[in-house]
Amino acid sequence: MAAAGWLSKEVAVIAVPIVTILFGILIGWLGQRSGFCSIGGFRDFFMFRHTRLLFGYLALIGGAFIGYFVFWLITPLAFEHFFWYMTSGLTPVPGAPAGLLVTGYIILAIIGGIAVGLIGVLLGGCPLRQLVMTSEGNVKALIFVVGMCIGAVVFTAWLSGWVVALLKGLGIA
Amino acid sequence: MIKFKNNYLKFIIMAETKANENKTILDGLARNPITVGILIGILAAFVQGLLISAGGPEAYGFCVACHTRDVVNDAVNSIAGTKLAIAPISLNAILPVLTVIGVLIGAFISAKVYKEFKTKTGSAISYIWYLLGGVFFMVFALFMGGCPYRVALRVGYGDVIAFIGLLAIIAGVLAGIKIATAMAEREG
Repeated sequence: MAAAGWLSKEVAVIAVPIVTILFGILIGWLGQRSGFCSIGGFRDFFMFRHTRLLFGYLALIGGAFIGYFVFWLITPLAFEHFFWYMTSGLTPVPGAPAGLLVTGYIILAIIGGIAVGLIGVLLGGCPLRQLVMTSEGNVKALIFVVGMCIGAVVFTAWLSGWVVALLKGLGIA
Repeated sequence: MIKFKNNYLKFIIMAETKANENKTILDGLARNPITVGILIGILAAFVQGLLISAGGPEAYGFCVACHTRDVVNDAVNSIAGTKLAIAPISLNAILPVLTVIGVLIGAFISAKVYKEFKTKTGSAISYIWYLLGGVFFMVFALFMGGCPYRVALRVGYGDVIAFIGLLAIIAGVLAGIKIATAMAEREG
């Protein structure tokens, strides 16, 4: 059963680029004004016990939960699997490579998370911060974004399939 | 280590003073990460309610890694005729999710309006590191199923795997701080 949102499917397919680009412009503006950064939040907290950015990231988690909860009360059909753990148990929300066992997803989450945190700290920011710095005229951040674009193609074209095959071969997926 | 920490402290103090010289109430709110976080979170849920009929996945309102992948793969598919995977919502819609393009535009307008646009360049070596960093960041983020922002949305949505990913990100940050301070010490 397809999830039913507030717009009908015919309208929604046209609205997707318009709504998302407006949402993006707002995030970009706010991100530039506040210096919002997820990995930077953890970094500042662990190095200086400085909580300004960390509380921003925690507020994002809280805001998302409040938003999903309130809108789910109004239109449950648009938020079919909220609260995910209650409806779907330990499976992840789709997005990571599909068709693995729970163990496989946990392994990917741990390896991916550690690498993301590590790279983010060493290169001075999470992806949103890199996008914002690109728009502020930082050439290094621009190169990072170009690298992300290359990484996307490399991942979907090759790596994703290889790692899923590897995990399946090892019997943990 | 002291030099490395001092550099970051300078950066933080700069951000603090910037945050304190509020001109208008609205700009003050935009400079406060807490209001920004809550607003982005609620709007991400709102966007899902609005657009979910076009296709899944859920908790997909904002993600730098996944949305970049959708735009890039959709462009490559159109140009090269390949069939690289993209999320159903981007596949069904007339154009993929353009949040990332929006962020670039929004931050550029804001930087111009507040006269904070300034071209900064780096050394050739640093460009190579940033390019490789971008490639690996994207690959690992996609294995995890999203960048730190989608992880936050998924945690809010009740996804336990995403919470494990969040703990792993914290572990990675701690490891990164260790490596960075060790490197800064060796350089003196």
